[in-house]
Amino acid sequence: MNLWLAIPIGIVFGYALFHAGFTDSRRIAWAFYFKDVGVPVVMFSAIVTGMVGLWGLSLVGLLDISLVYMLPTYLLPMAVGGVLFGVGMVIGGYCPGTAIAAVATGKIDGMVFIGGFLIGSLVFGDFFPVWGDFYNSDYLGAFRLDQWLGIGLGPMVLIIVIVAVVGTISMIFVQDFVWGEKDTVTKSRPFMKLQGALIAFAIVIGIIFAFFPTESFIDDTVETPFYIVPKADMTSTGL
Amino acid sequence: MKFETRWPPVPAGILIGVSMLLAFVVAGRGIGASGAMTRLVAWVQHGLFPTATEQSVYFGKYFVDGAHPLNDYVVFLLVGLLIGAFVAAWRSGELRLEVLRGPNITNRNRLVLALVGGVISGFAARLARGCTSGQGLVGGAELSVGAWAFLICVFIGGWLVAWFVRKQWI
Repeated sequence: MNLWLAIPIGIVFGYALFHAGFTDSRRIAWAFYFKDVGVPVVMFSAIVTGMVGLWGLSLVGLLDISLVYMLPTYLLPMAVGGVLFGVGMVIGGYCPGTAIAAVATGKIDGMVFIGGFLIGSLVFGDFFPVWGDFYNSDYLGAFRLDQWLGIGLGPMVLIIVIVAVVGTISMIFVQDFVWGEKDTVTKSRPFMKLQGALIAFAIVIGIIFAFFPTESFIDDTVETPFYIVPKADMTSTGL
Repeated sequence: MKFETRWPPVPAGILIGVSMLLAFVVAGRGIGASGAMTRLVAWVQHGLFPTATEQSVYFGKYFVDGAHPLNDYVVFLLVGLLIGAFVAAWRSGELRLEVLRGPNITNRNRLVLALVGGVISGFAARLARGCTSGQGLVGGAELSVGAWAFLICVFIGGWLVAWFVRKQWI
């Protein structure tokens, strides 16, 4: 592909991150205190949009799913990485994408966070032999939730939509319960009406998905081994 | 923040989802931020220690057959991200140098914690093969078991230490 096409995609991403309020480290960290649940709500909305779009476009034949790189699962390293990542997020106040966006808007704490992030990446890479075995362990391939649960892809999409909707509403409820209704901007009528309409739309799409025959278009035997350090490299270093 | 600046979270999330969908259609892969930073450190280290970096088990793959680590989709995406956030902040009049922190911490301590959090996240993102966007959002949309485990664990990790750094934020 032409790499320059990635620039407009990044622009949309950065533009949205700013308007989500994620160039402000406090708004991100407050998610862990339920003081501002924007982070989980934005994540739910982004995942549902991407999921419905990805699988929906493949169903109608506009996207060849076998050409899309499916992330492989290394369950335990990803779980441990996730816990550490959450620790870093609440201490640092950013995750990489939001910190880069914050740097672009002049946030000094974002710049320092990125400095730390680069150091952390360097340490991981340079001392890779120390944790390389663990990094490559517990490999399950491109393993989807519907395969794990033994159900169809369509019902799985509906389940995720429901999880996202219930998650969003309960997060907002918890925020009000713990901190009171102080956030007047996001509670204004136009905000709630717009979001209510979008959530209802997502539920409708999820229900349509659940009754769609999805088995026909997925080839579960294909896997693209992008970014995976081959196991052969490990043995060559004597580890 | 005004209405025009701070969008409600659902439409903001949908626009992030749209950027991810564009990436699926155009590039056959999702969005991400941490991969570009790994390539950046690989490139800098290669400038200082070329042979050692090319032989590195982890960084070596970026230099196979004379490849340039920065000549990659994720790096171009990161440049776009910088432009997008800059333009959005500039149009909203939110472009200024500042340290963001809660009311009960000094600027210096906030920056120390930002650095510490950055180091931990940088390490963790490599271990998990991606960050919130590249692993969490993209893998979440792809229904990847590992990505959902990652996302749940991010919130577990955050809640585990939230109490100890509360003075930084509230």
